[in-house]
Amino acid sequence: MIKVSHLRKEFELSRQQKKELNTTDNIAVAVDDLSFDCHPGQVFSLLGPNGAGKTTTLRMLSTILTPTSGTIEIAGIDAIKYPQEARAKLGFLTGSTGLYARLTPIEIIDYFAALYGVPQKEKEERKKYLFDLLNMNDFLHKRIGKLSTGMKQKVSICRTMIHNPEVVIFDEPTSGLDVITAENIIKLIRDCKDQEKTVIFSSHIMSEVDLLCDELAIVHKGQLKYNGMMSDFRQNMEASNLTEEFIRIVQR
Amino acid sequence: MIFTIFKKELIDTLRDKRTMRTMLLIPLLVFPIILTLYVNVSSSFEKKASEEKIKIGVWGDLGAKYWNQLNEMPKGLGKKELKSFEDSTALKKAIEQGEIQLGLIVPKNEAELARTKQSIPLTWLFDASSIGRQERAEAYMNHMSDKAEAIRFKELGVNAAKLHPLVPVYQNCASDKKMIGQIAGGILPYIFIAFGFIGCMYPAIDLFTGEKERGTIETLLTTPVSRWQILVGKMMVIVTSGMLAATCALIGLFVSIEFLDIVHNKEILDIVHGILTPSFIIAMFSLLFPLVVFFAGAMIPIAVYAKSFKEAQSIITPLNVVMVLPAMIGFFPGIELNATTAAIPVVNIVLSTKELISGTLSVGYYCISLGIMLLLATVSVLVSYRQFGNEARILN
Repeated sequence: MIKVSHLRKEFELSRQQKKELNTTDNIAVAVDDLSFDCHPGQVFSLLGPNGAGKTTTLRMLSTILTPTSGTIEIAGIDAIKYPQEARAKLGFLTGSTGLYARLTPIEIIDYFAALYGVPQKEKEERKKYLFDLLNMNDFLHKRIGKLSTGMKQKVSICRTMIHNPEVVIFDEPTSGLDVITAENIIKLIRDCKDQEKTVIFSSHIMSEVDLLCDELAIVHKGQLKYNGMMSDFRQNMEASNLTEEFIRIVQR
Repeated sequence: MIFTIFKKELIDTLRDKRTMRTMLLIPLLVFPIILTLYVNVSSSFEKKASEEKIKIGVWGDLGAKYWNQLNEMPKGLGKKELKSFEDSTALKKAIEQGEIQLGLIVPKNEAELARTKQSIPLTWLFDASSIGRQERAEAYMNHMSDKAEAIRFKELGVNAAKLHPLVPVYQNCASDKKMIGQIAGGILPYIFIAFGFIGCMYPAIDLFTGEKERGTIETLLTTPVSRWQILVGKMMVIVTSGMLAATCALIGLFVSIEFLDIVHNKEILDIVHGILTPSFIIAMFSLLFPLVVFFAGAMIPIAVYAKSFKEAQSIITPLNVVMVLPAMIGFFPGIELNATTAAIPVVNIVLSTKELISGTLSVGYYCISLGIMLLLATVSVLVSYRQFGNEARILN
């Protein structure tokens, strides 16, 4: 379960940033009064154009960034007060995630299992399950730098899921991936849903959202423009298709 | 958890060819290569100079006496060929054109000066831009002068000792160990500081800026590990790398001294062996450790701030000059370890090491130096922690 209430994030602007943005303001508001809930066994989609504040929101949920104000609850834990405890409950995967090129998949998985404090027996069971599921056994001992994009993505997925997190955050997970590699992610999101995990993913691709999500939030310029069930969104559409409806809401 | 991070980062670092080159290979090979080159080049120059046949021009008949003296010079003073010249202008021209290497001009009134027992000025012409010419002229002149002096004393019936009432005898009371410490003591800390810095540089950039560039830092920050643990784990690798680079340089230097036949004097070699005791090495590393932590602490905020490997490198490289320049103080004579210099970072390490080699390091100054460096190392770690915790910096 994720509970977000009146979330706000301000960034101080440097002199150079002010110049680039052509503004005299000392701060930029990336997220402004955002509130939503994500439930276990459901896929929550955070939709918005580039620069809407999706990544900033997800980074706050994963406690990489500290909110200026508001509250975040991850699996019943106050993520602002107890960030380390909250991080132990979540898995985080972004499309831009890199891997350590000089390590092998097995070394990376062991490393992250150790960081998450996964007990030895559980670690071996999870590794076997995930390696078989993702068909990774053939390249476990090859250096990451020598793997294909698809293989790397499988390692990233395995790394995200090694500690069997209750909450999984995907930040534009399919960005830059080909259709076949992206399919692995789509499958992972579905599996997470089936396993009653709380899933939140951000995207600006409406077709992906349509395929996966149960509940939807549209953000633009850091503000919440829409929040509701996907079925309701489809039912109450004013435009002829989902993409046009998304554009209509954003431009409203 | 810190050890888990340290272990992973160390494996990652050791697999990086660039880091391995700067951390192990270059420090290990630099001294054997430089010293081999130096020994070979200088010995070949020496050999060439000693084997070179010098052509000496002697001006006119007046030089006949000296012609003979030059001909009778000991063979150890080098091979020579004599040539007679009619006038001094031709002699000078021949030197300028390289036909001859030395010219000897004997004054016209030489016979008169000799007869009246006066000093005879002998002028040696040479091209100072050619190495060893002046030294060869001086060697010939000293030999001729000693001989002429002895003859004149004999003619005058004077005992040479009577003309030299005071004979200075200068005796150096400093031990050889102290002398080595003063003369060569500056080099050792310089090596340590320079290679300690270089050894820290690539891992610092790779483990912070590199993680940002590769997009792995974000993933690492979502794990339930506190930032200070991540920082300490990474910092330990940077410090290890700096210490390894300095150690490799020391090993390279030791191997060069032991096996390249650079030090011919057995006594000096024994002293060098005497200096390199376990207690010396422990004391040396105890000084080096906080210095390398300070280097790491100074580099991490830059590596966290930089957006790319190139940017980090362009900021840290000039820092090398700032850090290593004070190490050169060790080369200057007269600057000694005292309460003031012991409080100046980097300089205190250099001077303490010098005194350590000489065996004259006072415990008080050692403690001040160590305390100052530990304080500086702590401050740099805190600055690094602050910068690593700055979310705007860490995520660009």
